[in-house]
Amino acid sequence: MQLTNKLQKTNQQTLARNKSKNLKSLLTAATCSLLGTTGQVNAKAQSQTEENQWQFDTALMYYGETDRVTAVEGIIAATKEFDDEEFLSLKLTIDSLTGASANGAVAQPYVQTFARPSGKGTFDVPAGETPLDDTFKDTRVQVNASWAQPLTTDYTISTGLHASKEYDYVSLGLNASLTRDFNKKNTTVAVGFAAFYDEIEPEGGIPNPLAILPEPKTTAIDDRPRIGSSDNKTTIDVLLGLTQVINRRAIMQFNYSFSKVDGYLTDPFKIVSVVDDLGLVQNQIYEKRPDNRQKHSIFWQTKYHFTSTVVDFSYRYLWDDWEISSHTFELRYRIPFGTGYIEPHLRHYMQEAAEFYRPFIEQGDAYPSYVSADYRVGEMNAYTLGFKYGLPLKNGQELSFRIEYYQQDPENPGYDLPGVLQDVELFESVEALIVQINYSF
Amino acid sequence: MVILGEMVRDIMKKIFQSNILLIVLLMSSGCSSLGVEPWERDLLARKEMALNASPIDAALDDHIYFSKEASSGGRSFAGGGCGCN
Amino acid sequence: MTLKPARTVEIQPTNFGFLTRFHAMASPCEVLINSTDKLIAKNVGQAVAKEAWRIEDKYSRYLNTSTCAKINASNGKPVSIDEETYKLLDFARQCFLMSDGAFDITSGVLAKAWKFDGSDNIPEQDKIQPLLKYIGFDRVSLTENSVALGQGMEIDFGGIGKEYAVDLSLQIAKKLTSIPVLINFGGDIAASAPPRDGKPWQVGIEHPGFANSNTEKSPPLVVSISSGALATSGDARRFLLKDGERYSHVLNPKTGYSIVGAPKSITVTAPNCIQAGFIATLALLQGAQAEQFLQDQDIGHWCIW
Repeated sequence: MQLTNKLQKTNQQTLARNKSKNLKSLLTAATCSLLGTTGQVNAKAQSQTEENQWQFDTALMYYGETDRVTAVEGIIAATKEFDDEEFLSLKLTIDSLTGASANGAVAQPYVQTFARPSGKGTFDVPAGETPLDDTFKDTRVQVNASWAQPLTTDYTISTGLHASKEYDYVSLGLNASLTRDFNKKNTTVAVGFAAFYDEIEPEGGIPNPLAILPEPKTTAIDDRPRIGSSDNKTTIDVLLGLTQVINRRAIMQFNYSFSKVDGYLTDPFKIVSVVDDLGLVQNQIYEKRPDNRQKHSIFWQTKYHFTSTVVDFSYRYLWDDWEISSHTFELRYRIPFGTGYIEPHLRHYMQEAAEFYRPFIEQGDAYPSYVSADYRVGEMNAYTLGFKYGLPLKNGQELSFRIEYYQQDPENPGYDLPGVLQDVELFESVEALIVQINYSF
Repeated sequence: MVILGEMVRDIMKKIFQSNILLIVLLMSSGCSSLGVEPWERDLLARKEMALNASPIDAALDDHIYFSKEASSGGRSFAGGGCGCN
Repeated sequence: MTLKPARTVEIQPTNFGFLTRFHAMASPCEVLINSTDKLIAKNVGQAVAKEAWRIEDKYSRYLNTSTCAKINASNGKPVSIDEETYKLLDFARQCFLMSDGAFDITSGVLAKAWKFDGSDNIPEQDKIQPLLKYIGFDRVSLTENSVALGQGMEIDFGGIGKEYAVDLSLQIAKKLTSIPVLINFGGDIAASAPPRDGKPWQVGIEHPGFANSNTEKSPPLVVSISSGALATSGDARRFLLKDGERYSHVLNPKTGYSIVGAPKSITVTAPNCIQAGFIATLALLQGAQAEQFLQDQDIGHWCIW
C-alpha cells in the first residue's frame, strides 16, 4: 500500500516534469486533423475567488440629522477563501458621533435649563423647542470575525465573534449557525444562535430610575440620585431560516427570529417630564424600562430577475412583550446603467408604541411602574428614499455611491395634551441625510 | 417633507399589494415545480441575485435603524451592540 | 439500466432569443440561439440534437449496436472502422502520446475495482493489479481501416466523446446560420460568436462549493465567454475519502491508482471543446501540481480545490 503510494507520487512528478513541452501546438495539430478547424478562444472569468486572495470591501458613510446627531462611520471588511470553501471574514468598523439627541422632556413656552447627564454644568433649551441633550460625543470601534466551512456536502457551519467598545459602552458577542441544503441546493434551512453581553458605564453613573432630577445647579457639587456606576444586559438570539429557489428568476427567504434580552434596558440619559393641569413642567424624572424584553420577528424577502433588472422586496413584522410591534417594507430596484447600475431604494417603517411609553406624566396621576418618553419606543412612521450608483472597475473592483434621505415622524398614540402642551411641538420629525461611498477590491 | 413621507407610503402600499399577488401566484404554481436544475442557475449565480447582495450597506443600515428605531434584526441576528443614541 | 429518456427537443423563448433543450449522452443539453426567429432556432436546435444523438449511438459503450461496443466485443480480433472512428481513435492516440500515457481511453476497465460512492472503500492492491495488463493504448494497433485491441482490453470514449459532439454540433450550427449560438452538453460548452448586444455569454459553473445565496459571501464561478470553448473535469460527488485523504475519480492508468490531492474540479478554456476537455483532464492527473501545470500551459483555467 505504502509502496504504491510512493510509486504513484513518483509518477505524478514525472507527469509534472513533462508538462511544458509545447503541448498546446501538438494539441492544436491533433484537433485540426480531427475537426478540420482551429478556432479561437475568447473567454474570461468574473469570479472573485479564482485566486485565493483577500477580497476587501470598504465604505465610508456620513449620517447627518438636521440640528441633531452627526455621525461618520467607516468599515473595512476582508474575506479570504481557504481550502474546501472555507471562508474567513474580518471586519473593522469605526464610527464617531457628535451632536444632540432628544432627552425625552417636553417643550415649554419658556426657556428651560437642564443639568448635563454627566453632572458637569447645565444647558438651556429655547422656548418652544424640543429639549436636546447636546453632550453626545463618542467614538466606537467594532471588530467582527467569522469563519464558515462546509461540514459535509450538504451542511455548512459558520461561527463568529463580535466586540465593540466606546467610551461608556462595551459589547461582546458570539454566534454560530448551521445550514443544510436540500433538493439540489434549491432549498436551504438554517438554524442560528447568538449571544451578547453588553455593559454600560455612563459618565455620572447609573441614575436611580423614576427619581426626580435635582434642580440644575452651576456648582460642582453633584447630588444626583444614582444606584451604581455601571450595569449590563445579556441578549440571546435564535434564528430559523428557509431559503427557496422558486425558478430561474426568483429566490425567496423566510426567517423567524426570537430575541431575549435581560438586564439593564433603561436609557440612563433619558428623562420624562411631569406636568400640571396647565401643561407646565413641575419636575423631571429618570425613565425606567422593564429589565427584560422578548422579541419575535418574521422576515420575508424575495428577489426577482427581470430581463435585465432585479427587484428586491422584503417585509418584516416584529412584535414583543413591551407591546411594541412594527411593519417594515423595503424595496430596491436595480437597473443596468452604462457599464454599471443604478438602484433606487424605498423603505417604510411603522411602529406601535411600547406599553410604558408616555410623552409626559400628569401630576397627580399615580406613577407608572415603568415609563419612557423616548420617541424611539413611541408610535412613529419612518421613510427612507435612497439612490445608489454602482460602477464596476477593472479586475473585479467596484465603486459605488449611495445617497439616502431618512425621515422619522413620531406620533401621539392618543394622549390629551393639557394647556400649553397644545401650543408646542411634542412629536417633532427628525430628518437625516445619509451619504456613502463604497470601494471593493 | 411630510408630502414626501405620504408619497413613499402610497408607493409602498401599491407595491405591497402587487407583491402579495405575486407570491400568491407563485405559491399556486405548485410546490412540486419549485427550484431549478444546476445548469439553470445562470441568473441566480449573479452577484446581484444574492439575497444580501451588499452586506456592507446592510450593516450600515442595520446600525442606523438599530439606534433610531425600536426594532432590529430579521434578516440576520438582532444583536447587542452599542450605546448609540 | 434506467429507461432511456425520450428523444425530443423542447424550445422556449428567452430574453436573448430561444433556448432548445434535449437529453443526450447522459446529460442535459441545451442550445442558446441569439435570434427571435423561432424557425431558425428550431432548425438549429434540432440539427444539433440530431448530431448529439448520432454520436451517442455510435460511440456509447452501453449500446450493443454501437461502434464502440463492437470494438470492445472483438476479443483481440481486428475490427474494420470508418474514417470518423479512425480520426477519433487517432486523436485519442495522440492524447496518449502527448500525456506520456496519462490520458488513456483504455483505462476504463479500472471501474471494475474502483466504485466512487463517497465511501472509504479503497480497493486492495490485488484487485487493481490484475487489471493493469488490460490498460495501455500502446497495445492498440490502429490503421486507417481497422483497429485491434489486445485481449481483454476495452475502450471508452467518455473522456472525449461529449466534447467531440459539442465541437461537431457547433460546426453544423455554423453551417446553418451566422446567428450567435452557444452549445452546452452537460457543462461542456462552445460558442460560435458573442451575442449581438456585444456582451459575452455568461456561463455559471456549478462546483461543490456553490455558495448559498444567504451566506455573506457568495462566490459562484461565472465565466464570460465570447467565442471558443469551455470544459470542466472533475466531479464533486465522485470520490472516496479515507484517513482525511480525498481520492479523486481520476485514475492513473499506469498504477491503476486514484490521484490524490487533485482539485475537485478544473474548468479550462480553449479554441475547441475537445482541447479544453483534454487539458482539464490532464491537469487533474497532475494531482497537487494541477494549477502549476495549467499556468505553464498559459491557458484560461479555474481550479476548485
